[in-house]
Amino acid sequence: MKEIIQRKIFDYLVKKGIENFVGVPDSTFKYFIDQGLEKKLVIITTREEEAIGITAGMTMSKSPSLVFMQNAGFANSLSTITSLIELYDIPLLFLIGWRGYLKDDAPEHIKIGMIQPRLMKTLGLESKILTDDDWKAACDWAVKKISNNKFCALVIRREFLD
Amino acid sequence: MIRREAVKSVVGSLSRKDIVVSANGFVSRDLFEVKDRQTNFYMIGSMGLASSIGLGLALKNPNKQIYIFDGDGNILMNLGSLVTIGSLRPKNLIHIVFDNSSHESTGGQPTNSSNVRIDMISKAANYKVFKVSTQNKLKSLLKNIKKIRGPLLILIKVEKSKYVSKRIDIEPTLIKSRFVKAINN
Repeated sequence: MKEIIQRKIFDYLVKKGIENFVGVPDSTFKYFIDQGLEKKLVIITTREEEAIGITAGMTMSKSPSLVFMQNAGFANSLSTITSLIELYDIPLLFLIGWRGYLKDDAPEHIKIGMIQPRLMKTLGLESKILTDDDWKAACDWAVKKISNNKFCALVIRREFLD
Repeated sequence: MIRREAVKSVVGSLSRKDIVVSANGFVSRDLFEVKDRQTNFYMIGSMGLASSIGLGLALKNPNKQIYIFDGDGNILMNLGSLVTIGSLRPKNLIHIVFDNSSHESTGGQPTNSSNVRIDMISKAANYKVFKVSTQNKLKSLLKNIKKIRGPLLILIKVEKSKYVSKRIDIEPTLIKSRFVKAINN
């Protein structure tokens, strides 16, 4: 996804009331995180479960929050999602990178990239994919979900190799 | 001193507005049995994350004291949270570790808290650290800590016990909704 779009998405989510951005970085959405770091709205954590815990505390304080992670970190977080976010029904917004979307991505990303959509579906974590052309509608969908007290996820595909 | 007695002393020192997040397992059950409060958030899963939830609450509720009721097994599972807490240094965060050197809720298997220094790790992560193992010392410490700028870590050495507090019989979504209502009032 283009740098300018990533930065616009960040600003748009802030405008729509998201106050906290907490997580573990992903080069897939590097510029989204850069935009947040420049505005001092980002907290980088040691692990993804920690980020989910922090944003759960923030969300319960009525401060809408986004937690970001790679799909490897999403896999780390399964139990936290089922036994904290889903069990207590905490309206948290996830942003998850999709490594392994391209079939020739690095080997460690292939398997998780393949099962990511099914994993999310099995968990009951509803999601929309952010694209260069249609990101605003996906953001609006997500913001509406959490304002209706439902957790949900946005996904950014890794469409380049390095 | 057993954990339930230590929990009772800490709860006795709380004011009505103070927020408590308690770790899954017997810590939450002790808190529930000693004194159920609307501003208690009982965790029944996601082991290790009480300190992280407490950090999120502390950052967003700067005018309230946030107490984390943790266990040694729990904090050892999320030592990374000490790094993040120590970097952000919330002044209103009081992190209490009830340390019985065991996973009591799963049958008393040992943890490694007797082999490493949780107090020194926390100190290196910018906490102010206090260590107690008797009721008298705990009670006199609790009288003074509200004036000290956090993050604070209170490591309470407790003994294993056969006593088991009752289960939390409130639905998780109700634990959350009454907690959200109470802390945002």
